[in-house]
Amino acid sequence: MFKRKLSALNYPQVDSLNTSDENEVKKVILWLEENKIKKYKPESRQNIRNINSSEWKKSYDKYKQDLACPIKSDVITDELDWFIKYALELEYNSKKATYEKHTVENLKSASTPNVIAANPLDHLDFGGKDFESGVKNLAQILKISPHPNPLITLKAISKVVCNRLSRNAIEKPNDFIIKGTPFPFEDANLGFDLGDVLLNRAAKILTLLYIQNLRDLQTKSNELIVAAQSITANPKTDTKLGKVGK
Amino acid sequence: MNVEGCFYVNATLEKLMLDELRNACRPGMVGGFLPGVKQIANVAALPGIVGRSVGLPDVHSGYGFAIGNMAAFDVNDPLSVVSPGGVGFDINCGVRLLRTNLWEKDVLPIKEQLAQSLFDHIPVGVGSKGIIPMNARDLEEALEMGMDWSLREGYIWAEDKEHCEEYGRMLNADPAKVSMRAKKRGLPQLGTLGAGNHYAEIQVVDEIYDKWAACKMGIEDKGQVCVMIHSGSRGFGHQVATDALVQMEKAMKRDNIETNDRQLACARIHSEEGQDYLKSMAAAANFAWVNRSSMTFLSRQAFAKQFHMAPDDLDMHVIYDVSHNIAKVEEHVVDGKPKTLLVHRKGSTRAFAPHHPLIPVDYQLTGQPVLIGGTMGTCSYVLTGTDQGMLETFGSTCHGAGRALSRAKSRRNLDYTEVLDKLDQMGISIRVASPKLVMEEAPESYKNVTDVVNTCHAAGISKKCIKLRPIAVIKG
Repeated sequence: MFKRKLSALNYPQVDSLNTSDENEVKKVILWLEENKIKKYKPESRQNIRNINSSEWKKSYDKYKQDLACPIKSDVITDELDWFIKYALELEYNSKKATYEKHTVENLKSASTPNVIAANPLDHLDFGGKDFESGVKNLAQILKISPHPNPLITLKAISKVVCNRLSRNAIEKPNDFIIKGTPFPFEDANLGFDLGDVLLNRAAKILTLLYIQNLRDLQTKSNELIVAAQSITANPKTDTKLGKVGK
Repeated sequence: MNVEGCFYVNATLEKLMLDELRNACRPGMVGGFLPGVKQIANVAALPGIVGRSVGLPDVHSGYGFAIGNMAAFDVNDPLSVVSPGGVGFDINCGVRLLRTNLWEKDVLPIKEQLAQSLFDHIPVGVGSKGIIPMNARDLEEALEMGMDWSLREGYIWAEDKEHCEEYGRMLNADPAKVSMRAKKRGLPQLGTLGAGNHYAEIQVVDEIYDKWAACKMGIEDKGQVCVMIHSGSRGFGHQVATDALVQMEKAMKRDNIETNDRQLACARIHSEEGQDYLKSMAAAANFAWVNRSSMTFLSRQAFAKQFHMAPDDLDMHVIYDVSHNIAKVEEHVVDGKPKTLLVHRKGSTRAFAPHHPLIPVDYQLTGQPVLIGGTMGTCSYVLTGTDQGMLETFGSTCHGAGRALSRAKSRRNLDYTEVLDKLDQMGISIRVASPKLVMEEAPESYKNVTDVVNTCHAAGISKKCIKLRPIAVIKG
């Protein structure tokens, strides 16, 4: 159970370590003190170096006290675990700068381009009057009916911009803008009746949104199949095999 | 009878039904199938049946169940049964409709060449063999994967799967439950049309009844060209059904299941025989979808060659693909309570209402397209599912014209040259593998498909959307 941690600390006899042998555990504790923890000066480590002495237990208890080890159980392996963790902590803190290069956040940011901290959008006041009227104007230009909450209007604007005003959509509108034929939505059968004209209308709109969602999903599945086909497909025909019956 | 039996007819169809019954009751009439009316009643007496035993307007007698009969069994009732006779021998026989962006005037000048090209690509007739190379391992995979196999191998487009009942794959298929004999029969037949009433037709839109629904299907106006493929699981499905009937007879004796007709061989849904049949039936259903997909591929090739354009540029999308010989587990409302049912549709097409979760997203507002293939030389229809159909027939409607004369009788009464001449006069190009069998499929041998469709429309179990008429027919 200590193998990984000890090998991280470069303990030499990781593979042969037998933690049920008390003497070996003592040796590990001593090694940790001598190489990693270094609580005592080298010359004052004599007492705990003497692991075979009858006085060892006494000096060990003192050592624990000096390190403020919180483990109260008399199981020496529990204490060993604490010593190792403590040593790891010291090790980490001493080389913090090196290790932090490898944290998830840092790895992520290393692979993505640096975000310019001076993004003007970060300093926008989303609650301000200027923002509200700006969004309203933008919505008017794009012919989007504004929602009382400017953030929701902004979301709608972003959808229009992404779907209709992207570079692809402007350069090749036939390929990227989905062409549909209008469907008489008022006459469409909803499949159920909520007993209220307005509610039925709202339910119809939700149904249409749901269908659109489903369509997107299906289109993505189809794209996935086509991608897989580019690897697997190899249609063959052999007219010699053909035979017309009677 | 455990539930009521009923059938939908108009005056003409009623006369045909009752004539059939009267003829069968004449003294000295033995052998052959029981009349449809009696068969509907016998099905209504099967254990575990719920709702009604429904005869659709095109109903006529078949093996055990009448063709054009829908019967649903409660999966949670331990006595409920599954019957191969309720599915039919041609498991997952069905119709697929492809649209094009071509108009009648584009096609008429090269109609003959196009018909010939289709005929050259799609092998037809009894004993025909397909041109898509397959080995035994391919077949095993195709049986398990259905249209996903065709997709993986690149024979079809991703959108084809989207517009197919069950997305072209029954998940409970288990090729291990299928006999060696069925696999041997099936292997060379993939990608072939077969014989009998199966056909591939080039059709043009003749009438649009529901503009909006048609528009959702990519049908813009009269004169637009479509391709209809009507085929099934060939010898494979036939063998699966035959094998299952043998097993079921044993199961009936063991479980003391009694039926009014020996042809109604069945087994409890949860018995080993019942489950084995459902798994092998699903494999046969997958076979049929791969078969229709292969023919879709071949039709696209044939059109692409004639018009020197890619199938994409011809917009040859699948409008829909229906199964009209199949049993499926579905959720339905029975007496106000949701129930899990095993719905047998034999010569009956699923017709789910708008907003049903199992229909493609493109048809959520219109209801499921229902493809009704006519007979050689007559028109075909596209209907859509309705809410009333969900309540009355568990979302089922008719499947085609339905036979009026038996095959033998047609052969005696009609002459094949006359039949072919008549088609020629109507301006329909025809390519046929065995001309002498053509009279079995002559329009005179069938009920009038317009009567059938109008009855379904009037009853409200489905709604008329598009009428198509053929300009070229490929037949076995």
